[in-house]
Amino acid sequence: MSTEPGGDSPAHFKGKDAIGHVAEAQARGLIASAEIHGTETPGHISAGADAARETAVALLLFWTILSALQAPPPAIALTLSLFAFGWLTWKCGRSAWLGWSRLERLHRVLGQEKWEIEHHRSQERSELKELYAAKGFEGKLLEDVLDVLMADDNRLLRVMVEEELGLSLESHEHPLKQAFGALIGTLIASLFCISGLLVFPSYGIIASSLIVIGIAGAVSAKYADNRWIPAIVWNMGLGALAFGCVYFLLDYLQG
Amino acid sequence: MTSCCTISSSPHSKDPVVFDEYFGLGKEETVSPFITPATRHWGANLTLKSSAIAAGLLILAFALSFFSSGIPLSNLLLAAVYFIAGVPSLIEAIEDLLSLEINIDILMTLAAFSSVLIGSGMEGALLLVLFALSGSMEDFVTAKAKGDISSLHKLSPTKACVIESDGTLIERSIRDIEIDTIILVKSGQVVPLDGVVIEGTSSVNLVHLTGESVPVTRGVGDEVPAGGRNLEGALTVKVTRTSADSTLARIIQLVTQAQEERPRLQRWFDKLSKSYAITIILLSAFFAATLPWFIDTPYLGIEGSIYRALAFLIAASPCALIIAIPIAYLSAVGVCARQGILLKGGITLDALARCNVLAFDKTGTLTSGDLALQAIEGVNGASAEELKQALTIAYALEKNAVHPIAKAIVTYGQAHQLPVVSLKEFQAMPGHGLSALAGDLPVYIGLPNYIASKISAASAEELMRKLIEPQERGELIAVLLIGQKVFLLRFLDTIRPYVRSTLDELRHQLGLRLVMLTGDHENSAKRIAYELGIKEYHADLRPEDKLRYVSRLAETEGLAMIGDGVNDAPALARATVGICMGEVGSTAAIDAADVVLLHDKIELLTWLIKKARQTQKIVKQNLTLAAIVILAASIPALAGFVPLWLAVVMHEGGTVLVGLNGLRLLRR
Repeated sequence: MSTEPGGDSPAHFKGKDAIGHVAEAQARGLIASAEIHGTETPGHISAGADAARETAVALLLFWTILSALQAPPPAIALTLSLFAFGWLTWKCGRSAWLGWSRLERLHRVLGQEKWEIEHHRSQERSELKELYAAKGFEGKLLEDVLDVLMADDNRLLRVMVEEELGLSLESHEHPLKQAFGALIGTLIASLFCISGLLVFPSYGIIASSLIVIGIAGAVSAKYADNRWIPAIVWNMGLGALAFGCVYFLLDYLQG
Repeated sequence: MTSCCTISSSPHSKDPVVFDEYFGLGKEETVSPFITPATRHWGANLTLKSSAIAAGLLILAFALSFFSSGIPLSNLLLAAVYFIAGVPSLIEAIEDLLSLEINIDILMTLAAFSSVLIGSGMEGALLLVLFALSGSMEDFVTAKAKGDISSLHKLSPTKACVIESDGTLIERSIRDIEIDTIILVKSGQVVPLDGVVIEGTSSVNLVHLTGESVPVTRGVGDEVPAGGRNLEGALTVKVTRTSADSTLARIIQLVTQAQEERPRLQRWFDKLSKSYAITIILLSAFFAATLPWFIDTPYLGIEGSIYRALAFLIAASPCALIIAIPIAYLSAVGVCARQGILLKGGITLDALARCNVLAFDKTGTLTSGDLALQAIEGVNGASAEELKQALTIAYALEKNAVHPIAKAIVTYGQAHQLPVVSLKEFQAMPGHGLSALAGDLPVYIGLPNYIASKISAASAEELMRKLIEPQERGELIAVLLIGQKVFLLRFLDTIRPYVRSTLDELRHQLGLRLVMLTGDHENSAKRIAYELGIKEYHADLRPEDKLRYVSRLAETEGLAMIGDGVNDAPALARATVGICMGEVGSTAAIDAADVVLLHDKIELLTWLIKKARQTQKIVKQNLTLAAIVILAASIPALAGFVPLWLAVVMHEGGTVLVGLNGLRLLRR
């Protein structure tokens, strides 16, 4: 079938058989589509919830330190506002950057797969054969399926991307939209936490930041189809523990 | 074994064409197959949007810098400008440096970031914003050009219906089809690979490959090229060339080569900018290191050699030079757009101004490509009544056909409100003609050879003799047979309105040499050339012949080529300037061209060339002015005669002057 010279060159398989190559490609696809850090799932709502949660934790910890240093309340509010502004820029830019970074990896993997389809057709057929044999196709039916899939390069690329690499097409939001979600999340969390501080200077920010952490955890859980009660409790508990780490250890700093 | 029909629809709900678009457009993010269609628009014209935002922030920063309380905010906004406009330049500059490529981008970036060190962050930011704006416009133009090859690829089918040895049909990728494979090309399909017909007869339209709008008959033993559209019956074809070798693949290759060889002016600019950047960077370093040896000045401090070298670097940064050309071209491009002329890059105007020869394709450019019925006559004479009846029958026969000759007869019939006679036992002979019964009388219409086979040898001989004269005049002929009475219907390609007066203006007012290059046959070309007063014409040209003429003229005299078909695409790309008719033009031709006449108004050519010449004049004025400003600001700044603020004012003042001069082109 293949008209490519040296089509069965070991360079493509790198000493592996077709199924070994499929397994490697699937791993490559998983790495390409994974989030590096941050949200449970990609998307602007998830990015917003994650940014809100991190903002609340950062403001809470920063407030704890400033309070322990006995800074006057107006100065604390102003410092936290300035911090929130810088943090907003960072969270928003970082979210976009993570999205673009993932996109770059996905595009590279897609380009590699297209190249393989164009230059190593017989190997692609072998890989496809392994994939469809594993689904239960055999004999003439299997050969017919392969003929159909191999007839159209676009269709073949889609099948290889989705089934060999395990990637989902048209499923990722544009990085800028994701960044916009992070911006809104950070903004809401900052305003809510600092408002809490202004209204109840003593402990308002503790309550408001824990509320933000809880709500953001619930939103993330809903978006990822996870259970929301454990998500709220775990997130609030984690926030409280982080606060405790700073609050109790500050005693050593103050002597 | 699978039937072709059962696999034509994709098993996936999502459109697989998204891959073609993504790879065809150079992996643009806006067509990424991974991004949800609903959010792809977030990435549209991103470089243009970000440079516009940077420009807005810079204006705000500049305004706030006049108030002492606004200075921190102004600095913050300036930092944002450096981030938005500076980071991409910095990345590009570092990558260029790592690949040992010193160019004007590095100089600009170095000057902009160095300006912060001597307290002129605002000027540096201005450089970055102007730089980003010109870069984003370049991206925009490049994105347009990228559509070129992808549209050519779209013309080419990716699959073919293979007839297996047991007679069953199976769809295969054309990449997997080898020479001597037998394929089936159904009616309405595009021929996927070059081959020879081994069964069937049909009309094949080769307009996209040869420019000839009238379909040709292809039967057993005839060659059919990939890209031709089979109009009527099914053809069984034996493949003679693989997909990598097909006619269409060769055209794609020609366009690619032509595009790669085209931008000589751009190469000259790149070369110049590289030398300029290296010279200025080396001079700055040299002055910083050696000034204290020659004059009484320290290395550091505001009178120091490093400070002066940085001032020289900034003053010599080609801000005015950079906007000198784009502002003129942008103004000209803007006014052209208002006139319905789309220019793919303003630099086209410069090339157009230097063209001495205009080459025209015939069909679709000088002529509309539609046939018009000129006359009907009886081979052995006929009365007016007989001619009227013949026209009525021809109208009834051709009413449901798709051939251009049929279209011309139907248009004539509708315009003259011919009565519709009823015909029975209607039959179509693909590639030959049509037959029916008018009452009990057999009637036929079609090619001369087809009709000749239906009449006596003597009548056939008389018919063939009668054909010679009109064919020499470049007319197309259809023959109608009613009983034993034979009629000739003569057709002509119609000349576009205003073409004659436009060609006269181009020849006499602008002193241009006019040439016609066409894939049509000699007689037809000769007639059109004669009617339009074109002295030089070349007919029967294949795309590669056309390309050869165009290359020679482009190299020796500067050539603007005006065309519309896919067959013109390589020539349009290779010409000094390719001009395409926007409404009738094929996508490939439009993409390969530098100029698109959106409403096919060929009469705008005179105005366009005058505007191009005016643009060239203003570009020259701007370049001179910019060079004077750079010299007048940088040398005294280095010598310490002109304080930095004055050097900046001179530098920016020159930029404004250059800008205003360029805006003069906005006048129609």
